[in-house]
Amino acid sequence: MANFSTQFRLIRALLLSERMRYGLALTALIGGTLLIYLIPLVPQAVLDVVFNDDPDKASGISRAVIDGLGGIEQVGRQLWRPALLIGALALSAGVCVHLRQRFAAGAAQNIARRMRSDIYDHVQKLPCRTHESLESGDLLQRCSSDVDTVSLFLSEQITMIGRAFAMLLVPLPLMFALDWRMAVISLVLVGPIAIFSYSFFNRMRTRFLEKEKAEARLTATVNENLNGVRVVRSFARQSFESERFDGHNAIHRNRDNDLYRLMARFWSLSDALCFCQQGLVIGFGLWWLTQGSLEIGTFYFFISVVNMFLWPVRMLGRILAEFGKALVAIGRIDEVLERPIESSPEEPCDPETLDGAIRFENVSLHHGDLPVLDEIDFTIAPGETVALIGPAGCGKTTIVDLLLRLHDPDAGVISIGDVAIDRMQRSHVRSRIAAVMQQPFLYSRSIRDNIAITSPDLDNDPIEAAAMDACIHDSIRSFDQGYETMVGERGLTLSGGQRQRVAIARALIQRPDILILDDALSAVDTRTEHQILSAIERRHGRQTTILVAHRLSTIRTADRILVLEAGRVTQQGTHEELIDQPGLYRRIWTIQSDLETDDIVETGGA
Amino acid sequence: MTHDPGLDDERSGAIDLRLWMNFIKHLKPHRRMAFTMCGAGFGLAIVEASLPPLTGMMIDEAIEQGVTNRLLVMGGIFMAMMMIFAFTVWLFIKAAGELATGVAYDLRNGCFQRLQELPFSFFDVRPTGWLVTRVTSDCAKVSDRMPWVLLDIFWGSTMLIGICTAMMIIDFQLALWTMAIVPPLVIATWIFKRRMLASSRDMRRTNSAITASFSESINGIRTTKSLNRESQNLDEFDGLADAMRGHSMRNALQAAVFLPIVAVLGSIGVGIALWKGGVQLETGTGLSIGMLIAFMEYAILFSMPIQELSARLADLQSAQAAAERVQGLLEEVPSIKDSPEVLARLEAARGTDGPPDGGEQVVETIEFRGIRFHYKPEEPILENFDLTVRKGESIALVGPTGGGKSTIVNLAARFYEPNEGRILINGVDFRDRSLEWWQAQFGIVQQVPHLFSGTIMENIRYGRLEADDEAVRNAARQAGAHEFIERLDDGYEHDVGEGGELLSTGQRQLISLARALLADPQIFVMDEATSSIDTETETLIQAAIDEVMTGRLSFVIAHRLSTIRDADRILFIESGCILEDGTHEELMQANGRYAELYAGQFAGT
Repeated sequence: MANFSTQFRLIRALLLSERMRYGLALTALIGGTLLIYLIPLVPQAVLDVVFNDDPDKASGISRAVIDGLGGIEQVGRQLWRPALLIGALALSAGVCVHLRQRFAAGAAQNIARRMRSDIYDHVQKLPCRTHESLESGDLLQRCSSDVDTVSLFLSEQITMIGRAFAMLLVPLPLMFALDWRMAVISLVLVGPIAIFSYSFFNRMRTRFLEKEKAEARLTATVNENLNGVRVVRSFARQSFESERFDGHNAIHRNRDNDLYRLMARFWSLSDALCFCQQGLVIGFGLWWLTQGSLEIGTFYFFISVVNMFLWPVRMLGRILAEFGKALVAIGRIDEVLERPIESSPEEPCDPETLDGAIRFENVSLHHGDLPVLDEIDFTIAPGETVALIGPAGCGKTTIVDLLLRLHDPDAGVISIGDVAIDRMQRSHVRSRIAAVMQQPFLYSRSIRDNIAITSPDLDNDPIEAAAMDACIHDSIRSFDQGYETMVGERGLTLSGGQRQRVAIARALIQRPDILILDDALSAVDTRTEHQILSAIERRHGRQTTILVAHRLSTIRTADRILVLEAGRVTQQGTHEELIDQPGLYRRIWTIQSDLETDDIVETGGA
Repeated sequence: MTHDPGLDDERSGAIDLRLWMNFIKHLKPHRRMAFTMCGAGFGLAIVEASLPPLTGMMIDEAIEQGVTNRLLVMGGIFMAMMMIFAFTVWLFIKAAGELATGVAYDLRNGCFQRLQELPFSFFDVRPTGWLVTRVTSDCAKVSDRMPWVLLDIFWGSTMLIGICTAMMIIDFQLALWTMAIVPPLVIATWIFKRRMLASSRDMRRTNSAITASFSESINGIRTTKSLNRESQNLDEFDGLADAMRGHSMRNALQAAVFLPIVAVLGSIGVGIALWKGGVQLETGTGLSIGMLIAFMEYAILFSMPIQELSARLADLQSAQAAAERVQGLLEEVPSIKDSPEVLARLEAARGTDGPPDGGEQVVETIEFRGIRFHYKPEEPILENFDLTVRKGESIALVGPTGGGKSTIVNLAARFYEPNEGRILINGVDFRDRSLEWWQAQFGIVQQVPHLFSGTIMENIRYGRLEADDEAVRNAARQAGAHEFIERLDDGYEHDVGEGGELLSTGQRQLISLARALLADPQIFVMDEATSSIDTETETLIQAAIDEVMTGRLSFVIAHRLSTIRDADRILFIESGCILEDGTHEELMQANGRYAELYAGQFAGT
């Protein structure tokens, strides 16, 4: 809330970007409002001039209206004339209302459309580091519900604010011209009503937040219960869970009920206030009517007009109270848009061909004060298969991230095919590498589209070939809709191993210079793993491959093994070389294999 | 997540009266509130409909007689009606609130209770998020709307009838003239509300697709970047954003046509009243000036109840799918539950010691006899499966994925029931024992352990609610979890986060092991329970696990063969059959599938 002025500036900038439409909407609003107030003027004039025993007492405006309709005589004989005028005025007012809505909605939807697109584009271009520092649920909320809040504000609340002011201000000259005493009486309680409803809705907002909190707790409780259904059942905790839920349910009901009670109080009190306002108009009107200082038509006019502007005034309080919400939302959106996007080199050098040679020279990366990689140095020859091994947090995945330019090193140079990767465009580097992560992400579309995501025009043969090499073809075929089965939120939930294999098929389709499997076979059983690895070898032969894995049976197939510990390469060599040296590799080997090797020796093994 | 899959099947079809009549029964416990609300709505309508003629009478009185006692009485009546009006508004909102929140509370508790009873086969085919939406937003949708529909039916129809009657009494002919605007009003409302309902449904649907798209772009950012998908993603998103603008514009334009039409019709009514009433006024056929003004007010009032009624019908329509789903969940009959005989025995044994169903407490044997089982008919899992397990035995289940290892445990715990065959506890069919008692005899540690949000202490205590802190600590020590817990800043009071997300998978596995140990179950199940614990820690807790297993009946499912070597019996399960059965040494000697798997896992290619 500290930078209210920034938020106002942002709102103004948004509105000005559609000033044409908003200007037209404003014109239509003022015109329409004027027409709407002219409508009760017609019966007023008829009552005061035509049906009056003493037409001279009527106001100048009334006589002007009747003269316009053809004079007292004519109107008196042909009462359809004023009726027709009412119809015509109403129709023109209707057209104005329509135009106002059309322009305002067009402006608001254009802004919302641009805002959505901009924020989507920006989010995609934010560096991974920024994404990691933001909480994903919060970011999603900024992109979705905050944008909705702003768009609702632009399309409805802005016009309602405008309408409330127009409804209140436009008839003032008319009212004072007709009868200044009645005009003053009509406005006595307008201020208090507006203030009352504003302060009320302000208070309502805090209560509403409490209700939302209770609702979130309720949802979380159900969610946890269902996710933990096995735990609940195997400890037979159903009644415990029901009681826990009942507690949250009751709190939510009470909060919700508080809101309703508050609403009941507001609407009844504000109704009472509005009635007092009407009562004042009727009371004083009748008094002056009997005194002969007020004409019946003018009296009718004021009764109608008070009815017309009281409602927008009541809504004004609510909208002003919600104005704060829109300001906060727009500030939150701006915070995202203000974050810098991924850098790109000023004069990119994107060679057509790159061989798969990889070199890390004195590469360091820190996370806060902690070094993740500490002056790392290694080279990988084109076509070589290199395995990375080391305890969790030793920097294996960081190396993958740096190669893909998802992160940038703090110091040192990384090059592919002798070109430093920070001289190339990020997209160019990435197009040369296919990476499969441990928990791969699949898009919510069909399996086929997921595999062929980089080249959607491929026909079925290469897709199925890739799926076969990734040992997922048979599983896909067993699904009801085969390759057209949808995955993700709205479709089938694939197991971890299935997801990994679909992601491998997706990587194989790309025919990259460099293939990275970052613990990408952890959920696949040993036999399948070997099938996939040999299919990969068969398929490409010449590409550089980086394998991150825990299973020594996987790792030992690599040409070379790099052992990483605390951000440094502590050992490298072939499997045979490494088990001959003291160090982490041999320790892991010993722990994992102690008993097994004995047994295999004893029983004659495989 | 804001994404609501429930929007998908929101209908635009006709209103299903039977469904809603059926829902009325949920109002029964709150009938006093329901009657209060309807009464208030009724009273409100009467007051609203009688205000215009009262104003008219006051005008006539004032014009013709000046300030008289009668005028003052009428003014008093007018003020009183205002107060009644405000009071009934307060009353019906309050009553509708009590009703809405009360019904929501009942429906939610009912749904939740039902979810505690339904078997796993129910959950297998329904995503958790989908079910959560049933309990939260579907229940809200139905209960928020029902009271208002009921109220507006009473209020709206009373008001319409009231206005018509009043007009007819005052001047029959003029009433007919003024009411000429009603048919076009009804037709316009009907046509536009339907269209606006459809376009706002499109808006919501597109909006949730937009949210899903944002969610995908945020969660898949690394993949998107590494696949260079940014521009295609943006193109696809722009398509959605365009659609959203299109639907929003359509909805706004419909409103921008409809609302002026209503206003114009109201004004036309005023014009007609002025024209026809004016003629009568001039010819002096009895209509007074006050009553003419009343007519003109009525012409404007007419549109209100018509609009409200049609809005409520639209609400009802859009809540119909939610109502069907809630009703469906409430009426879902659990396929696995205690038989009437067991329930009778549970009743009889209430208050006595021992198992609640009066059966034997100690589990000596579990027998699988001729079990046939499938999750889907076309994919049989177990065929003619037989197995007898005795107290004190530890059984390791080994074999390829999908061979039926977890199914055997799921059947033993009666999470599913066999399609054919029987499972016997000490020779008694497990359907003749209490479901809850039987399941409580199990302690299951899963591969992906589930923790509840709260502290570590609370999570371990979930195994035995009445355990004191010391017992919890002992269980943690036994599970090898004590060390890492003590190292945390707030130790046992450490918050594990939603679903335990603040802890590593390995730490969660240790805590869920401690939880199972605290429960001291007769049957102990480890389903890939140590897969994420590093090799060194595993050797540490292996001793504890061995100790736990002695004297109990236990099942171990694992891929790491080092975990299962020490089991009393190792069953090699493939395609629903026991291919090999024996100790580690026996099976290695036999040199069959187990020996092959064992060698293969370690020796590599």
